[in-house]
Amino acid sequence: MAEYTTKLAEDEVLRLENLSIQFGGLKAVDDLSFSIKEKEIFGLIGPNGAGKTTAFNCITQFYKPSSGAVYFRNKDGQVENLVGQPVHSIIRKGLVRTFQNVELVGELSIIDNVLIGGHIDFKASGFEQALRLPRARREEKLMREKAEDVLRFMGIAELKDALVAGQPYGIRKKVEMARTLMCNPKLIILDEPAAGLNDVETQQLADNIYQVREKYGCTILLVEHDMRLVMSICDRICAISFGKFLACGTPSEIQGNAQVQEAYLGEKEE
Amino acid sequence: MSTLIQLLLRSLETGAIYALATLGIIIVFRTNFMINFGQGVMGMFGAYIVTVLFNKMGLPIVLAILVGLVAAVGVGFLVDFIIIRRTKHVTGTGKEIITLGLMMVFLGITPMLFGVDPMRLPKVIENGAFSVGGANLSYNSLLNIILGLGLTIGLFLLLQKTKLGLAIRTTASSEKTARLMGVPTKWVTLFAWALALVLGTLSGAMIAPSTSVTVNLMDSVQVNAFIACVLGGFQTFYGPVIGAYIIAIATNLLSYYVSSVWGTQILYILVIIFIVFKPVGLIGKKTVKKV
Amino acid sequence: MQKGSTQKSFLKNPYLQYIFFGIIISLLPVLVNAGILKTSWVGIIGGTIIYAIAALGLNLLLGYSGLISLGTAGFMGLGAYISAYLTGDLGLPWEVGILAAIIIPVIFGLLIGLASLRMEGLYLGIVTLCVSEVLRKTFDELEPITGGFSGKGAEYPTLLGNIVLNQKQTYVLLVVALVLLMMLTHNLTNGQLGRALHAMRGSQVAAQAMGVSLLKYRLIAFSLATAYASLAGALYVHFIKFVYPSTWTLPVSLTILAIIVVGGMRSLYGTFLGAVIVYALPDLLLKRIPVIGDINGLSYVFSGVLIIVVILFYPGGVINIFRDIKKLFVKGSKKEGEV
Repeated sequence: MAEYTTKLAEDEVLRLENLSIQFGGLKAVDDLSFSIKEKEIFGLIGPNGAGKTTAFNCITQFYKPSSGAVYFRNKDGQVENLVGQPVHSIIRKGLVRTFQNVELVGELSIIDNVLIGGHIDFKASGFEQALRLPRARREEKLMREKAEDVLRFMGIAELKDALVAGQPYGIRKKVEMARTLMCNPKLIILDEPAAGLNDVETQQLADNIYQVREKYGCTILLVEHDMRLVMSICDRICAISFGKFLACGTPSEIQGNAQVQEAYLGEKEE
Repeated sequence: MSTLIQLLLRSLETGAIYALATLGIIIVFRTNFMINFGQGVMGMFGAYIVTVLFNKMGLPIVLAILVGLVAAVGVGFLVDFIIIRRTKHVTGTGKEIITLGLMMVFLGITPMLFGVDPMRLPKVIENGAFSVGGANLSYNSLLNIILGLGLTIGLFLLLQKTKLGLAIRTTASSEKTARLMGVPTKWVTLFAWALALVLGTLSGAMIAPSTSVTVNLMDSVQVNAFIACVLGGFQTFYGPVIGAYIIAIATNLLSYYVSSVWGTQILYILVIIFIVFKPVGLIGKKTVKKV
Repeated sequence: MQKGSTQKSFLKNPYLQYIFFGIIISLLPVLVNAGILKTSWVGIIGGTIIYAIAALGLNLLLGYSGLISLGTAGFMGLGAYISAYLTGDLGLPWEVGILAAIIIPVIFGLLIGLASLRMEGLYLGIVTLCVSEVLRKTFDELEPITGGFSGKGAEYPTLLGNIVLNQKQTYVLLVVALVLLMMLTHNLTNGQLGRALHAMRGSQVAAQAMGVSLLKYRLIAFSLATAYASLAGALYVHFIKFVYPSTWTLPVSLTILAIIVVGGMRSLYGTFLGAVIVYALPDLLLKRIPVIGDINGLSYVFSGVLIIVVILFYPGGVINIFRDIKKLFVKGSKKEGEV
């Protein structure tokens, strides 16, 4: 793992550099660059099909970019290039994501789903777990307590033993957020967190995002459609269109940007 | 050279038998979205009907087969009507387990109706052969080869050129859409199961002369039919048929030139290695996973 | 090995429940000796236990990890032949035979796990069928080791070098094995490993995002399933005392699949229940009924119809009938997490 210390400024935690990915002949993300500062709430916006989801799949290595780099300051303070690393290793560095479709395991309880978020912190081997040796039991107990803490923070502790299947959408979103908090993340990427939420729930989400930043001291990257949410809570925003960089700046700067307005022209935003 | 031709001719005949059974599987799969594990056993059941018609009722062989095929259609209708219709809400492997249940039912009904003694079914054309490039080809084998190729081509023409075929292809690509667009999917599944039974029965009647008619009649054909589907890819109708012929040719060639006892194993291992490198089969198309 | 948990209520402790369950089914030989049940019951329930063990392994693979295998029979056979050969031909201790029977097939299981990353459901299922068929035909050919198509025999286990068991004692050994495996499976599925498998099945992408290496856990799932299956096969050959290559065919793999689907996926008691319904019931009940019992093939028809009925009307498995009954009894009081 090479050291890329010079690639990030002191106060930056993530930087995309000339990131591109091609599907067949189509460039879904085209030479995209932007950076995110520590503890920022950063928004990534763009009209439908702009490539937001593709871009962030390239960050989390679900897609392998064709070219470019993603520099990230990991949990240990080192700067690394995420490109080319295995998908399941990303969370170990302190980068975690949510899913627009809220990918939870319906047959498991809420707390078990949250415990999946703590997967990487279990050190006991399968052998120890099979025989329920002391280390395995201790870990399980500690992690359960941590999961309960997180659920309390999210305000749904009383539901911990309920099955996820059958829970209302809003609750499932909270469970997913709780799951991401288990690993004490440095950077959380939220994939359309406001999708399907009403006004009241969206406000709760906004408050929750502030609380998460406050308590966990992490950075948040918000990929979102809901303009009001983005404009109201983001410190800075990057706008893209057709996979290409449009503009980056504070909410008011973005709102006033002619190119951004043009890209959204004809799009009805609620 | 003549040995090679002999092997190829034999492969074409075995390939025909496999191809018909494989078609039965792939047609049910693409219209009902389940693998019918009972395909072989149902074919065996149909072959038993033919055998009984011939042996116990004294019908001439061709007539016995034709009546047997009609009976197969009836059985196919019954299976679809009584059971498959109700499987709409069944998820995951449940559908396959139902076909397993069907398999057990047919495995049980056969001795109940027809007894446990092995029976004999003769060839359609008992005698006569001619020479092809130094190799011996019996008239019966030629008939089987023609039947295999003919039915395969006939089915493809049906799929491509007729309204029913269009209905089948539409259902195969998306059942919901098909129904929304007014395609009579109920008839499609009915036809698919009837056809599967018919093809299975024919397959059984073709292989029966070289062995005896018992409940195990279609065991090896069945396994090879599944493997043909994997080799050819489940995404098309013609892929598995090509797979069937390839397996027949490869088995015969490997058994003769490499090893008569390890031939089949070598083939299966080659198939496994092939699938590891091309996971969607020969003609498969890869679908990109969207996150 | 300390298996007890620190829960307050005696009856609620799952480990004690398994032990209690084991004690009940190990009473069978007593009933046979007392003349209440026929001797044939020992063989039938013993076979049920063996199938249940193999099914537990498949449950880990399909029920928890969402991976299909149609190759269970081949690995059962592999375990059987390895143990029979090592204890019979080489005269090694029974314990060594069993250990080798578990460990050697796992290597194959690992290979399949590796290959499984490249294929989706159906293809994987049929590739495992291919492997099973290759194994079966190999059993036919390797006459010096397997005895070819005339089969291979083995003896009842000899524990610790000099305790020779008889049929009924071997049966009790089977019960012990089942109970231990149920406890082991319980531990595995309720901890981090089990959750990782669940995640893999529920959503591959979420699992990866949470740090679950698909490769590692597929290898684990296939190794475990293979180990259980080959153990079942080894126990089989020392209990039934004879195996043929033709014992290990596709219908066996399908029967074990039916066991977990009918009994209830992801349920340990459900697996045993499924084995009873699919494997034991036809032999136990039907053959006893006069006239009907003599009709060949009826038991197969019965099993087949039963399987179809259960899938259509109780897709979650028969074990859910018990859950529904249990719900009626505990209505009003808080429900704890269960097996």
